[in-house]
Amino acid sequence: MAGLLKPPGNFALTPHKVSICILVQVYAPPSELSVPFPFSSVSHHNCLGIFLLSLTKACDSIFEPSLDELIAQLREIGGLLNHWLSDHLTRRLSSLASPDDLFNFFNDLRGILGGSDANVVDDDQIVLDPSSAIGMFVRRCLLAFNVMSFEGVCHLLSNIGTYCKESLSDCPPFELSHLDDSSNDPELEYESMELENFVFEKVSEEFEARKLANERVSFHSHAPGALFELVEDTDFPPSSSVEHIDRPREVSPCAPSTSDTLRGTGPPGGTFLRTNWQVQGYLSEQADAIEKHGSSFPIYAFESILKRLQKSAPELHRVHFLRYLNSLYHDDYPGALENLHRYFDYSAGTEGVEFVPDPSGCSGLGRYEIALLNLGMMHFHLGHPKQSLEVLIEAVRVSQQHSDDTCLAYTLAAICNLLSAIGFSNMTGIIGASYWPVAGIGTSSSIQQQLFVLLRRSLKRAESLKLKRLVASIHLEIAKFDLTHVQRPLLSFGPKASTKLRTCPANICKELWTSYHLISDFTDETSIMTTDGAFCTSWLQNLKKPRGSLVFSQENGIRSDSDIFHFSAQPSSIPGSVLHLLGSSYLVRAAAWETYGSAPLARINALVFATCFSDSSSSADAALAYAKLIQYLAVFKGYKEAFAALKIAEEKFLCVSKSIILLVKLQLLHERALHRGHLKLAQQLCDELGVLASPVTGVDMELKTEASLRHAQTLLAANQYDQAAAVAHSLFCMCYKFNMQVQNATVLLLLAEIHKRSGNAVSGIPYALACLSFCQSFNLDLLKASATLTLAELWLSLGPSHAKKALSLIHGAFPVLLGHGGLELRSRAFITEAKCYLAEPSFSVSEDPEMVLEPLRQASEELQVLEHHELASEAFYLMAIVYDKLGQLNEREDAAASFKKHIIALENPEDKDDPLSNFP
Amino acid sequence: MASKETCRTELRSAVRLLSDRGLYSASKWAAEQLMGIEQDPAKHTPSHTRFQRGSSSIRRRFRAAAAGDSSATPSAGVSYVATPSMAGAEDYEYDAIDNDFYLLAKSYFDCREFRRAAHVLRDQTSKKAVFLRCYALYLAGEKRKEEEMIELEGPLGKSDTVNKENVSLERELSALRKNGTIDSFCLYVYGLVLKEKGSENLARTVLVEAVNSYPWNWSAWSELQSLCTTIETLNSLNLNNHWMKDFFLANTYQELRMHNESLSKYEYLQATFSFSNYIQAQIAKAQYNLREFELVQVIFEELLRNDPYRIEDMDMYSNVLYAKECFSALSYLAHRVFLTDKYRPESCCIIGNYYSLKGQHEKSVIYFRRALKLNKNYLSAWTLMGHEYVEMKNSSAAVDAYRRAVDINPCDYRAWYGLGQAYEMMGMPFYALHYFKKSVFLQPNDSRLWIAMAQCYETEQLHMLEEAIKCYKRAANCNDREAIALHHLAKLHCKLGHTEEAAFYFKKDLDRMEAEEREGPNMVEALMFLAQHCKTKKRFEEAEVYCTRLLDYTGPEKETAESLLQGIRYEKLDVEHFPP
Repeated sequence: MAGLLKPPGNFALTPHKVSICILVQVYAPPSELSVPFPFSSVSHHNCLGIFLLSLTKACDSIFEPSLDELIAQLREIGGLLNHWLSDHLTRRLSSLASPDDLFNFFNDLRGILGGSDANVVDDDQIVLDPSSAIGMFVRRCLLAFNVMSFEGVCHLLSNIGTYCKESLSDCPPFELSHLDDSSNDPELEYESMELENFVFEKVSEEFEARKLANERVSFHSHAPGALFELVEDTDFPPSSSVEHIDRPREVSPCAPSTSDTLRGTGPPGGTFLRTNWQVQGYLSEQADAIEKHGSSFPIYAFESILKRLQKSAPELHRVHFLRYLNSLYHDDYPGALENLHRYFDYSAGTEGVEFVPDPSGCSGLGRYEIALLNLGMMHFHLGHPKQSLEVLIEAVRVSQQHSDDTCLAYTLAAICNLLSAIGFSNMTGIIGASYWPVAGIGTSSSIQQQLFVLLRRSLKRAESLKLKRLVASIHLEIAKFDLTHVQRPLLSFGPKASTKLRTCPANICKELWTSYHLISDFTDETSIMTTDGAFCTSWLQNLKKPRGSLVFSQENGIRSDSDIFHFSAQPSSIPGSVLHLLGSSYLVRAAAWETYGSAPLARINALVFATCFSDSSSSADAALAYAKLIQYLAVFKGYKEAFAALKIAEEKFLCVSKSIILLVKLQLLHERALHRGHLKLAQQLCDELGVLASPVTGVDMELKTEASLRHAQTLLAANQYDQAAAVAHSLFCMCYKFNMQVQNATVLLLLAEIHKRSGNAVSGIPYALACLSFCQSFNLDLLKASATLTLAELWLSLGPSHAKKALSLIHGAFPVLLGHGGLELRSRAFITEAKCYLAEPSFSVSEDPEMVLEPLRQASEELQVLEHHELASEAFYLMAIVYDKLGQLNEREDAAASFKKHIIALENPEDKDDPLSNFP
Repeated sequence: MASKETCRTELRSAVRLLSDRGLYSASKWAAEQLMGIEQDPAKHTPSHTRFQRGSSSIRRRFRAAAAGDSSATPSAGVSYVATPSMAGAEDYEYDAIDNDFYLLAKSYFDCREFRRAAHVLRDQTSKKAVFLRCYALYLAGEKRKEEEMIELEGPLGKSDTVNKENVSLERELSALRKNGTIDSFCLYVYGLVLKEKGSENLARTVLVEAVNSYPWNWSAWSELQSLCTTIETLNSLNLNNHWMKDFFLANTYQELRMHNESLSKYEYLQATFSFSNYIQAQIAKAQYNLREFELVQVIFEELLRNDPYRIEDMDMYSNVLYAKECFSALSYLAHRVFLTDKYRPESCCIIGNYYSLKGQHEKSVIYFRRALKLNKNYLSAWTLMGHEYVEMKNSSAAVDAYRRAVDINPCDYRAWYGLGQAYEMMGMPFYALHYFKKSVFLQPNDSRLWIAMAQCYETEQLHMLEEAIKCYKRAANCNDREAIALHHLAKLHCKLGHTEEAAFYFKKDLDRMEAEEREGPNMVEALMFLAQHCKTKKRFEEAEVYCTRLLDYTGPEKETAESLLQGIRYEKLDVEHFPP
């Protein structure tokens, strides 16, 4: 902007472009018949056309391909002609020996363009339409050549010379050159991201394997664990990516070996940047990839590409943004901060960011509010809620000043996101202290109310600006908000009688539906260019695939076919961001159904996400869906299957610290340890879970609640009622403080449970009732059912006179319990039912033994799957008693033996094999 | 330190040797230092000494303090390398014909026909010829590189042109170095090549070898200096002790922002080279960085008197004149450099400064741009241009200019500060803080930076007064000349209701104003607060003193003071009549 810049003329002639021009001449020779000389058929001819089109649009890398690569691609499409084509190309190129040859060449090139009056053209004649894509390309080349100075022509000539020489030097056997390329050609090495990815995957697999081996030995002790973490952090980058990528860089400039240094000296063939448009396309694709893969994106490889790009195009500031993203997703705070500032200092927010350019024209002052928005998101991402809020508030102010409504809408949405994601209470201080954008509301109102208002306002704003994707995501946000918040009138004065303290599932459904409408009209907002480029890229890559695996053609034939099919079957793809939004709407649905207690629906939604959207969404989201599915498996099918699934998920997602997969693993292990009675192990796992949460108050609240919930459960299982109650109480206080009502219901249930177990049924009942009323107002059906069950158990323990009441409670809850409850809940219900029958004085076993035996049998089967020794032994005990009463001695002995087995397993957990050794 | 006489003979032969090899700037430097050595007045005609002495009365005044210890001999145990035999033994290995080749090549070289010169020497094997050939090739490559850089500049900035001779040069020179037949001048060229290639460690080693075997090549020392970016690398260098090393160290300390160390080194060197313009200019540079503008101005005035056509370092002088708002002196300087050589970046920069001082910012931008066209990495021009854009309220252009300066040298605290200012101007104080933090990190002893940061915290949008107080405290601790910090501290404490602290700072501010004999609204404010404060604290005598001083001023304060005095009298009566 202020520098010593020339106006960007953005099209430079390079040897590669000259080659394309030569091929275009072959494609459309002046005055020839419909199928010109070298081609055998029309489709063959068209194939070259598509190839040329793709070459001008593909954005798979930043540098133009070398002659070798081009020839290799030509071989793929050329069929029988490939030798003719490549020979022709090299012949033409090497015939360009003096500046005058170039002048003549471009003069000839002009001849293949048709005139603007299309009527005179014969049907048979091939004429390139000047306004077609290839025609435009040719015209741009001509223009670029015409404005070129004599020095420029000289440079082009010498560049063509090196371009040809490079390929000729290792030309003769093409196969050989390709095999060699990957090993000694630094350019190729940078570009072949697949190779890099492959190595990365391999290493991470190896690392996983090592980790498992490690874990088996030392999961319990922390010191080796920490060491192992160290290994994880330091060991594998140098062993793989760093070395892999940096070696060619180090070698080529340092060692005076001839081939490398030759490359370094002349402007080598491979180092011409593609057109600005193609490079931008490449960068935005990479940006998507970074956001999608998060920390598993190969940081070093990409960094070195960026370095080269920056070196050859210092005025392309987008590079800094990519760098920022790269360091952000690898949690490199200083790097991210530095690059973010650098990017916006240079670009003033006007280059390349995804926002729709304001048609009203936003003055020459730059749009630094976008910088603020990004900075805010960065702080949010890295877990600095305070700074994030400060910055976002400043962003609101600045965008109001510059009347940048679009940015304002996005900023408000970001604030909503921040408020809903981060714990609330500690925020009041900041918001009270500083200027708060929602001016109409006094600081006295709670954050939830502010968030509520903010959401509605930003929705209105986004709707009026017609930012469809933003509208959709705000709808999702509102749905999330409604899910856990009771509707309440905003102002506390006025008649309160009409207040209905409930959440409204119908509203959520409505919000989700409105967000869903997006799919029908996303097209107007997207840039078709990038998808276009992406298609060309994938087409070109498919060209390469069969070549690379000629040997295995039988096996891979099907796959590459399907790829091609894939390509041709999708004339226009849905843009990634829309898919992402749709996907997250499914996740929200799954979450909603989970809270409302419909297990099958939740499972189905998670399944839909995992199957349809896991490719287009970020890997964190996909991991979340997998985690949910694994949890369902554990609850409904037992641990064996869950662990098998977990193993698959761990292979699929890189198991970094704090990842959701790790979390699920700890949860499963903890639950299993509890069920099996390995209390020490359970406590350890529960501590590990707690450590994962950030130490900052108000951050990672869910994780913290879960950790202390599990802590209380463990204490309860160890019959330390006082301590368990203390933990639960403090947890309740915390949840109350942070306004986490739904979690409070769970805590209340836990307290009821504690009182029940401690034999203090009378004081347990109020807790259960409180939990019930919570569940009622939040529509938590499944939790309500299990609270009812606990209540029934409490009544039952008050004495046989209450058995009838308990029984009716259970029967009321049975539909939900059996339809949606997990194995544990169901069998507990069965056992309680049996107990009720047995306790009831009017019931006699001998009259109707199946009334008792059937539920007990069910319970014992399910509990064995779950390996829940305590409940299983109870079930078998009851069964034995019933059989005893019935006089069926054999069955009685069987039940007693099972009872004994479970009791022994429960009491001597150490005798059994180490639970981790049979864990995958 | 070697004696003046040895230095003189060494430099004398070095000048000949260096200019014979076409190392002009090094030979210029050596000749300057040669003339910088104080002559023995007995041996020379008075005209010589007059030329040398100039008017050194002012200088003496400033030098008096430092002169005491600077003549000290080096501490015991430091052994200086013996002076190697100067007259190159290699001259003898020349026969007449070879020498003729060399003469032709050297003439071509002097006419800047580098390739031709190299071609003449293609089969010569003497060390001198090899050097000249390599050096000519290197320069030819550099020249071509510069041209190509302009020819090939793409839409997105430079295309990475490189010196195409470097590869072959590197191969040849590394072979020479391996078989031990390389001389120190070739080592210097080798170092240049390596540095450009980016292999800094090897370059450093090679350059150290070069200066150890031939210490009088200042260009080699400068290259070495540019490779020492941290004090650790500097300390790890294995350098022989030679008086040239002191020049090197002084220069490097300066670049590492260790201004006091650098200053003492230069003053030590001045004992021998008491008339060296170079040393004087370097001292001026160090003093400038220590913000001793008066002194810098005196030094530069004398420098110009001795060397009126000097352009080097004059941009710094213009900065000083700018800061002191000397319109006519600055215009005089601009005129002079313009006549001497208008296409030097320094000249453009000086003219830019002049226009900026006159408030014609558009014109000044034009000249800064010209300076940047001449040297794209001219740091201070980028920063100054940023300042101009700030003045013109074109903040995004300012941000861009500052950012370029920062990317050239990330230690330029002025540019970081400028970035912060620009963003603060745009109403983004929180964003600006990042930049202010960077700048105070680099220059923690500059009160202006701390004050700027404090004001940023104080803005109504941020309103983080506690942090502002902390910053003002830092500012007050590091020699805050305009005493802004004290006043702000007092007011902030007053605002936050910390009356004791406020009184403390008002008192301090008052004392300071008295000491510097300043008057103004701040004085009234301080007196007013102190009077009221003392009254509420029942220190009536003090309060009365402040009130009486307030009576000297006109306006509402006077009336308030009168009523205060009355109130004090009543209360005093109360205290006297009804003691508690």
